[in-house]
Amino acid sequence: MSSAFLSSAFLAGMRFEARMMRRDGAIWFALLALAGVALFALAMGASRVAAQQAAIASARADETQRLSNLQKTLAQLQQGEPQGKPAPEPPPYRDPRNAAFMGGGPAAAVAALAPAPLALVATGQSDLLPPAVRVTTGSKDSFLFADEIDNPANLMSGATDLAFVVVFVYPLVVLAMAFNLLAGEREQGTLAMTLASARRPSAALAGKLTARVAAPIAATLLAVAAGVWIFAGWERLASPGFAALLIVVLLYGLFWAALAAAVDGLGRGSAFNALTLIGAWVAITMILPAAINSLAAFAHPAPSRIEMVLAARAASTDADRARDASLARYAQEHGDAGKPGGPQEMTLRRLATQEAAFQRVEAIVAEHDAQLARQRDMADRLGYLSPAYLTYQAMADVAGSGETRYRAFLDRIRAFHLDWREFFLSRAKAGASLTAQDYAAMPKFTQADEELMARPPAGLAGPLIGVALPMLILAIFAWRGFRRCKV
Amino acid sequence: MSDLALAPLATTAPAKSRWRVVRAVAGKEWLELFRDRRLVWLCAFIMALMLAALAFGYVENARVLRERDAAAQADRELWVGQSAKNPHAAAHFGQYAFKPLSPLALADPGVDAYVGSAVWLEAHKQNETQFKQARDGGVGARLGSLSLAFILQTIAPLIVILMGFASFSGERESGTLKQLLSVGARPRDILAGKAMALIGAIFALLAPAFVGAALAVVFFVDRERLSLADQLIRLGALGAAYAVYLAGFAFLALGVSALARSSRAALVTLLAFWLANSFLAPRLATDAARAFAPTPTWQDFRAGIAQDKAKTFGHDESHPAFVAFRDETLKTYGVSRIEDLPVSFRGLALRKDDEAGYAIFDRHFGALQSAFDRQDALRAAPGFLFPLLALRPISMAFAGVDSRSQFDFATAAEAHRRDIQNQVSDNLIHFAHDNRYVAGPELWRKIAAFAYRAPGAVFALGYSALPMIGLFAWLALACAFALFAARRLRPV
Repeated sequence: MSSAFLSSAFLAGMRFEARMMRRDGAIWFALLALAGVALFALAMGASRVAAQQAAIASARADETQRLSNLQKTLAQLQQGEPQGKPAPEPPPYRDPRNAAFMGGGPAAAVAALAPAPLALVATGQSDLLPPAVRVTTGSKDSFLFADEIDNPANLMSGATDLAFVVVFVYPLVVLAMAFNLLAGEREQGTLAMTLASARRPSAALAGKLTARVAAPIAATLLAVAAGVWIFAGWERLASPGFAALLIVVLLYGLFWAALAAAVDGLGRGSAFNALTLIGAWVAITMILPAAINSLAAFAHPAPSRIEMVLAARAASTDADRARDASLARYAQEHGDAGKPGGPQEMTLRRLATQEAAFQRVEAIVAEHDAQLARQRDMADRLGYLSPAYLTYQAMADVAGSGETRYRAFLDRIRAFHLDWREFFLSRAKAGASLTAQDYAAMPKFTQADEELMARPPAGLAGPLIGVALPMLILAIFAWRGFRRCKV
Repeated sequence: MSDLALAPLATTAPAKSRWRVVRAVAGKEWLELFRDRRLVWLCAFIMALMLAALAFGYVENARVLRERDAAAQADRELWVGQSAKNPHAAAHFGQYAFKPLSPLALADPGVDAYVGSAVWLEAHKQNETQFKQARDGGVGARLGSLSLAFILQTIAPLIVILMGFASFSGERESGTLKQLLSVGARPRDILAGKAMALIGAIFALLAPAFVGAALAVVFFVDRERLSLADQLIRLGALGAAYAVYLAGFAFLALGVSALARSSRAALVTLLAFWLANSFLAPRLATDAARAFAPTPTWQDFRAGIAQDKAKTFGHDESHPAFVAFRDETLKTYGVSRIEDLPVSFRGLALRKDDEAGYAIFDRHFGALQSAFDRQDALRAAPGFLFPLLALRPISMAFAGVDSRSQFDFATAAEAHRRDIQNQVSDNLIHFAHDNRYVAGPELWRKIAAFAYRAPGAVFALGYSALPMIGLFAWLALACAFALFAARRLRPV
């Protein structure tokens, strides 16, 4: 009986507020603007995804062209010229039979990370990390840190994506709708009437609040669904990633609604509520994330990648010296006449320097990764202080442009790099020439994106709880405030 | 009583008494701002935040500077420690050029995290700078980090808005505006007084930050490499630009407050503008810049260079251009065989090929930087309406952390690469009598280490004309708007 009564007061409050809102042009404008900005952000995301796909297609076309040219030259070298004369001997770095040189550049394999199905949702790190890298037999410093070309000022400004709209703009509309439910009625003199109109005034007020916050949240969710349908295809709507996205957006909206209600429940005026909530918004979306990043960088400074390059170069000069010493010993024992030289010496020297650089760079990259992991772990832990930070990361993970997917990509490259080196260097060390069969049998970087895409985004539970928990605490405060509200 | 009725009284008032009105209003506003504990605490918090940001910037810059100095030293040792080898092989080994850190990056890190810190100077090829720090930062790092520029560009305008939104509307709501006008004070004088108070508060907010930055720069600048006076001039220009930016917000807040029906309406309007200026405009302007002045992808850029380079001969001795150059050289020296040349043909061919490559790289890298410049100009164009778009490029330029400064460094690094190439080719030309020729450490030592001296403040000024016009236009527009609003000031 009580629950039915409560429910009717709640619904009556909600219906009444909804009717009032329908007549307010400013609310319609705010909701339409929010939905419009969300749709625009998704359209921009779709064009960004198309550009990434084009870059991958272009890298793959280049790979096909390079391999085709090498195979053609190889065939010419093997068959000789039509007149029966042997084809001119190319230098080792252009010789398609030379395993040490071909695996190090001309035949390099493209390893690409295709955009995930919901990549249009968040740019994440995708504008900084190239979607395709050319894996060679060299050390990682020579291929893993290549960058896509972009104006640095563009990268600094950031992209207009849904993650930006949700994290920064959406809370402001939720706050604008919910900041003065009690304060506004009190200032207009209608609060007494509202409280007197229901036996359970708090239920009626909760109904009114629900109507106010449901509008921006529903507008955003609808815009997200419509945008994903239009720009990514309807089949994306049935994916686990999309369900995760809706939960992230919903929880984040509810967090801000609960915060607004908790502040409103303190019983102060509209101006106080507005200023307090703006302050909270600045702190949560701007100051805390910036402070978290600065603190993490201060506690665990990012390692210098230069150190890695210098180690590779030092390894190269050391290997050169070792090779010189070995040749000097050889000359001493066998006389200058027997001293190896020419293309064979060039190849052996390259193998030696590559091997030395590989070992040192691997060790340094592992050390750097561990240092970066410490920095990110600290930032992730501190991120629980800011629901905005958590939401931004969660949306990037849903979009597949966050660290989780990129780390998986790097792990795959690491394994592939070893296979690639083994394929070429084993032949080079054995002095074997590459053949047409070898070209057909070269390791391929398999995408297996279907497998990655079918999986729901991992690691979202922590951020979601990190947003939901403060939301629940604030909702309890708000409920207490609404129950105790005075005219 | 309306301001129209007061107008004759006010216009007859002597200038001295008008100045008294301005001072009285300014004094009263200043007192009210100071009495508002919330604002005082907020300002104190922001000041603490700015000083903390400076401290973070100082520590980070000192660390990066140490790293780059050590790296430059280590790379030099590697270069001179090379074993005896063919000079062209040494050119392939190359050198690294490390970008020195601008001292004012501690106040505004600008695009530093988004450009590489080192460039490999190798034979035949101009490389892009590598190792963007932002790549290592993770997704959360895209939400920014604490820096003086971040606080002054986004949070300080909000403080100015909070200080100014109720200036006129609050007085109207409490009835004191009517009293003020009734004693003959001109709306323009009241505006001037309130503006003086707000601008004074802005200076009070900026002063500790810029004094802190000046001290940090004095301690940070290595006077053997950089001019302290130049850095202080740059800092002064930064202070002036931020003062103009925030003063515009003060006039905007006063104008909106004068026209708004209520303080609440004034606050909502000003917050909407602040949001548009701080968050929406930079991203939308960037999207527009990308759409109207697109840049090539890395693949296309390198393919364009490769297409042009295919017309040069490189190491391909069967290339028609190689054959033509060989014939021309033989003719010049009046001999019929390469072996009869008095100089090394290989050295001559390398120099010839390098020179052909220089023109190609200049064209492609120049076109890329022009595309960046067009994008930057497009982004700064609406700066008179959304002043952050004008302020940011000025701030980055004077802090020495914009894409033009980066291009200047890259150009200097490329000039050094060319010097290395020319020296090794000359060595080959004059000394390599056969293919077994090797040079020793004396040549490696003779080739100098890369030394870069960043250009002075005039360089920043030269590339900041458009944004500076935008920033001053913003202040002029905001002033004009405030005067317009003051003329329409309603006492009730």
